[in-house]
Amino acid sequence: MPITFEKLTHEYNADTPFAYLALDAIDLSIEEGKITAIIGETGSGKSTLVQHLNALLLPTKGSLTVLDRTITAVEKPKQLKELRKRVGLVFQFPEYQLFEETIAQDIAFGPKNFGMSEEAALKQAQKMLQVVGLSEEYAERSPFELSGGQKRRVAIAGILAMDPDVLVLDEPAAGLDPQGAKDMMELFVRLNKEYNKTILLVTHDMEHVLTYCDHVVVVDNGHIAQTCDKQQFFKDSTLLRKLRINPPAVIRLRDELNQRGFSLPCDLIDMDTLAKAIADEVKAHE
Amino acid sequence: MKKIQVSHLSFGYDKEKKVIHDASFAIEAGSYTTIIGHNGSGKSTIAKLMIGLLESDTGVITVDDLELSEANIHEIRDRIGIVFQNPDNQFIGASVADDIAFGLENHQVPSEEMQDIIEEFADRVHMRKFLNSEPTKLSGGQKQRVAIAGVLAMKPQIIIFDEATSMLDPQGKAEINALIQDIHSKSNLTIISITHDIEEVAHSDHVIVLDQGHIVLDGTPDEVLFHEQELIDLKLDIPFALKLQHALEAQGLQTKPCTTMEGVVDELCRLHLKN
Repeated sequence: MPITFEKLTHEYNADTPFAYLALDAIDLSIEEGKITAIIGETGSGKSTLVQHLNALLLPTKGSLTVLDRTITAVEKPKQLKELRKRVGLVFQFPEYQLFEETIAQDIAFGPKNFGMSEEAALKQAQKMLQVVGLSEEYAERSPFELSGGQKRRVAIAGILAMDPDVLVLDEPAAGLDPQGAKDMMELFVRLNKEYNKTILLVTHDMEHVLTYCDHVVVVDNGHIAQTCDKQQFFKDSTLLRKLRINPPAVIRLRDELNQRGFSLPCDLIDMDTLAKAIADEVKAHE
Repeated sequence: MKKIQVSHLSFGYDKEKKVIHDASFAIEAGSYTTIIGHNGSGKSTIAKLMIGLLESDTGVITVDDLELSEANIHEIRDRIGIVFQNPDNQFIGASVADDIAFGLENHQVPSEEMQDIIEEFADRVHMRKFLNSEPTKLSGGQKQRVAIAGVLAMKPQIIIFDEATSMLDPQGKAEINALIQDIHSKSNLTIISITHDIEEVAHSDHVIVLDQGHIVLDGTPDEVLFHEQELIDLKLDIPFALKLQHALEAQGLQTKPCTTMEGVVDELCRLHLKN
């Protein structure tokens, strides 16, 4: 069952002089079991959008259906706990939110909060450490001894420990070194493929969108500017340039060469097929 | 002319574990040098040693003709400015003007001169309109621009950027990178940029690669970046241009080796037209 937004509006400080319309009657459907990128400029409304997914924010107007729950503007939804267990939200720089004495305690905090026994929660924590690629021996260490990338893994393990069906991540690779970012993105692909999690990724990094995501949603100024699959999305970089987002290198190369006299098909979005087309075209001129 | 000469530098936070091992390198006056290495390789430690925030165990750092020591540390720090990674951790003032004034006050600049200097450097980083803004009203990129203004106002000869764009969104990154390029092209400042951005490296004058506190490669981008396997083994990125050339080679198209996207595009257009 897809996640659907219907005419959802969110206005901050509604009915005050500081009212600010962050989302304006958006309609959107996000497919289950896929990795969807949510992109847009800073201030476009993408963070507001994702915070509706576990009812951290409630719509001012319209509705949202996630899993089997519908959240509307009219009535205050009850029992949000169950929804928050099933939709895990990871904020930017989540490593700043670690606080427990040991890594295992930190990861177990969420599940305990949702009613799991101490023992079961710690067992779950052990398992999650492995899922995020940290060995068991980390369990009893302090989270504050870790590197930035490792801390972030622990924070994500804490969300995974609640076994959510939907995982929403806000800039999960920001500030990591290239290898750390790659490992992080590969973790999400694995969570998607092996554990069948629906993944929503707020990101500025178009290389990650191109390499790891299935679908793309573009938020612009409180509206949905585009929603399509990756292949379709990277056919044309006009929208990206309009939003002042730098397209991935492969797309920049394709467009640049076409501007300078090549005629490469615009559905080419990966390096190898593009290289083949370039080589063919150069040789055809011989 | 050598601006900075580092010889046989070693440092450890505790005695048993060295984080910098016998590092030697030289940086030319007016050059744009990039320092790369994965997290924990010692990049930031080297920067802190160069400005005397940390004291080395052994080795010598010379800036111009001055050998860094306790006696001249203030003189050396007047020559080297540094911009750190996290925009929130280095904004000290209650407003943009205050923040730029901070270093000037420390240097007892007379207050009647201060206002002009603040305005000049706020202008330089395109933040004049925001002089009275509080930090909470600014984006990360704007805060970094203020940090750069504060450093420039001290009239340094060298600026170190320690991953100054890594916490910014792409727009902030692009703004700051453009500003750094602009500063470098319009002054004779020596720039040292600690970075993960391999494309920035490809466009620099000089690259130093660190691994576990050792300098493993040191040279021009062409001298360093063609050591691809070594970079991959060090878990570093290689430039898009090189990846593309391999993909083209696999399709039977040989191109002149080159580390930048502009270079490959020019080369491909040349081949395309020639044929």
